[in-house]
Amino acid sequence: MIPFLGRSLVQKTITLFFVSVISFAVVHLAPGEPSQVDPLNPKFTKEVVERFRQQFHLDKPLYQQYLLFYRDLFAGKSTSWKDGRSVLGKICDRFINSLPLFIVGTLITWTLSFPVGIQAAIKRGGKYDRTTTFLAYLLISIPGFFFAYVLIIFVVSTFQVPVIGMTTFGLSGAGYLTRIMDRVWHLLLPSILGATAGIAVLSRYVRNQMLEVEGQDYVRTARAKGLPEEQVHYKHALRNALLPFVTMFGLVLPGLIGGSVIIESIFSWPGIGRMAYEAILARDYPVIITVNFISAILVLVGTFLSDLLYMVVDPRIKI
Amino acid sequence: MQDSASEHTMSGETFELPPQQTRLEEFWVQLRKNRLALAGMVIFGFFLVVAVVGMLLTSGTSPFLDPSLVRLQEKLRPPLSGPNLESLLPEEVPPLGVYLLGTDELGRDVFARMLQGAWVSLTVGFVAVGIAVVIGVFLGGLSGYYGQNPIRLGQVLLLFLAIWMVVGWSRLSSLYLVILGVVVMIVLMAMLLQGRERSRGLLSLLNAQLLSVDALITGLIDIMLCFPSFFLILTVVALLPASIYNIMIIIGLTSWMGAARFVRAEFLSLREQDFVTAARALGVSDWRVIFRHMVPNAIAPVLVSATIGIAGAILTEAGLSFLGFGVPPPHATWGNILSDGKNYLFDAPWLTIIPGLAILVVVLSFNLFGEGLRDILNPKLRERH
Repeated sequence: MIPFLGRSLVQKTITLFFVSVISFAVVHLAPGEPSQVDPLNPKFTKEVVERFRQQFHLDKPLYQQYLLFYRDLFAGKSTSWKDGRSVLGKICDRFINSLPLFIVGTLITWTLSFPVGIQAAIKRGGKYDRTTTFLAYLLISIPGFFFAYVLIIFVVSTFQVPVIGMTTFGLSGAGYLTRIMDRVWHLLLPSILGATAGIAVLSRYVRNQMLEVEGQDYVRTARAKGLPEEQVHYKHALRNALLPFVTMFGLVLPGLIGGSVIIESIFSWPGIGRMAYEAILARDYPVIITVNFISAILVLVGTFLSDLLYMVVDPRIKI
Repeated sequence: MQDSASEHTMSGETFELPPQQTRLEEFWVQLRKNRLALAGMVIFGFFLVVAVVGMLLTSGTSPFLDPSLVRLQEKLRPPLSGPNLESLLPEEVPPLGVYLLGTDELGRDVFARMLQGAWVSLTVGFVAVGIAVVIGVFLGGLSGYYGQNPIRLGQVLLLFLAIWMVVGWSRLSSLYLVILGVVVMIVLMAMLLQGRERSRGLLSLLNAQLLSVDALITGLIDIMLCFPSFFLILTVVALLPASIYNIMIIIGLTSWMGAARFVRAEFLSLREQDFVTAARALGVSDWRVIFRHMVPNAIAPVLVSATIGIAGAILTEAGLSFLGFGVPPPHATWGNILSDGKNYLFDAPWLTIIPGLAILVVVLSFNLFGEGLRDILNPKLRERH
C-alpha cells in the first residue's frame, strides 16, 4: 500500500509540473505582448508600459518568467493585473460565493440520481426505465444557457420572483423570513442548472452498476433462498453496487472551483466561473493561469483521494 | 466452396440453416429494435440535408435567402408573420413571402440565419471530432502497438537539437548552426554504432532508456485530463484571433483523450491475438498490420465516442458563441442567435427558443444514435438490457 501511494505521488508531482508549464504557456500563445493589455488607453504611456513590464517580470526571458510567476504564486504575492489585488485573495472571495452553489448542486445531484438509477435498474425495460433513460439523454443534450432561459421564463412568470444575482437589491430592511426566501430563490435555479448534467450521468451510472450486480450469482442465491424482493434489492445488491461510488467523492472535488462560467454569467453570480470569465475578457493573465492551475491540482488531488478511498473500501484491492 | 448453405445434407436429412445476413442487414435489424437510436439516426440524416441545403441557399454573392440582410423597419416580427410590403424595397422582400421563423432585432430573417448556423454547427462538430479521432487513433495506436519500446536518451537529445536548430534558424549565426549540425551527426553516428555492438563508456549513455513510449503517451493523456476542458478552450479561443478554424482545431486538440484510451486498450488486446501474429509471421509490414488488420477491429468504440463527441463539440461551440467568443459576428451560428436574442427574452422569446430547441434536438439525436451504435456494435451489451 505504501509503495503504491509513493509511486502515485511521484507520478502526480511530475504531472503537476507539466500542468504548470502548460497553464503558463497557454496564455503566451496570444499574439502581441501581455504588456499591451490595453493599447488604446491613453494612460498607457511608454513609461507606464515599461514599469508594468518590470513589475511583472515581462522583460525577462520566458523560463525566468515561469519561475518567477510560480515563486510569487506560492509565496502568495502574485497580484491581479487589473486591480492589483492578491490573486489568491480574489479567488478565495469568489470561492466563498461559489460554495453554496456547489453544495446545493451536489446535494441535488446525489439525492436524485441514486433513487432514480436504482428504480430504473429494478424495473429495467419497463416504462419507468425507458422514460428516465430518455430524460437522462435530454438533460445531457440540453445546452445549459438555453435551459437557464427556459427556467427563468417559467419561474419569473409563474412565481413572480427575481432570480438574477445573489440577492435582490434593497431588501436589507425587510424581515428575516423574506430575506431567507429571497436567498433561496436566487440559489435554486443556478444550483439546479449546475446539477442537470450530473444527475443525467450519475443516474445512468448507478443504473448500469446496479444491473451489473443484479446479474451476479449471489443475488440469484439470495432470491433462491426465498428472501423477499425488497431485501434482495436493497440489502444484497445495492450494498455491493454502491462500492464504486464511494470513490466518486474524490472526483467531486474539481467541481469546487470549476463553477460554471456560463451559468454564473447568466445569473450574474459573483463566483469563480464569472471571475475567470472576466479575467479572460480583461486578459488578466495571473488570474487565468492560477484558475487553470488550481483546478488541475484539484483534479489530481481528487483522483489521488479516490484511489485511496478505493483501497480503504474494497479489501480485494491491496496493491 | 460454392455449395449453397440451405442444401447441406447430413445422413440424408436436410438442415435449414438460418439465412445468411450481411453485416449491414444485421445492423439494420438491430437498429430497428432500438427505436430511440433509429429516431436519432433519422434526425441526424435530416440535419445533414438541412445543413448542406442551407449552406447552398445562404452562401455566395447573391444568396436565395440572405442571412445578413438588415430590414430595420421589420424588426422582431414573430414567426410566420408576413412582411409589410409597403415599407420594403423590392429586393428586400423575403423570397418565401413570409418570415418563417420571425426576424431578429435588426430585422434579419431568422430562418436564413438558422440555415447558415446549421452548416457551422455541422462543420465544427465533424472537423473538431475528426481532428480528435486522428490524434487519438495515432497516439493510442502508437502506445498500444509500440508501447514497450523504450525512448533512449540519444533520441531525446536529437529531438532537442533539431528543435533548437529549427527555432534558431534565422537568429543563430551560421557558425553555431554548423556546430549544432556536427553534434547531431556525432550523436546519430554514435547511436547507430551502439545499436550494432554494445560497448561501454560515455557514449553508451546515449542508449540509456528513459521511459517507454506507453508511459509517455499515458502521461500526456493524464496531463490533458487534468484541465477543466471548457475553461481551457475558452481561454485559448479568447486569446487567439477569432475564427471558426481556431475553434475547430482547439476543440479537437482538447478532446482526443477518450479516443486514444479506447484505441490503446483495444490495441493491447489485439496485439496478442493470433491473426496479428499470423500477419507478422507472413512478413507483413508494421504499417500494414496496424492499418489493415488492427485499426478496423479497434474502430467500433472510437466510432461510438466520435458520434457522442460531435454532440459535445456542437454544444461547446454553441457555448463559446453564447459567451461571445465563437464564430465572428456577421456569420450566424445557433449560439450567437440565441446570445443576441437573450436581450429580448420576454418580448421576442422565439429568438431564444428556436435556436435552443434546434441545438437540443440535434445534440440529442447524436447522443441517442451514438448510444444505440454502442449497443449494436457491442454484442455483449445486447442481452443485458
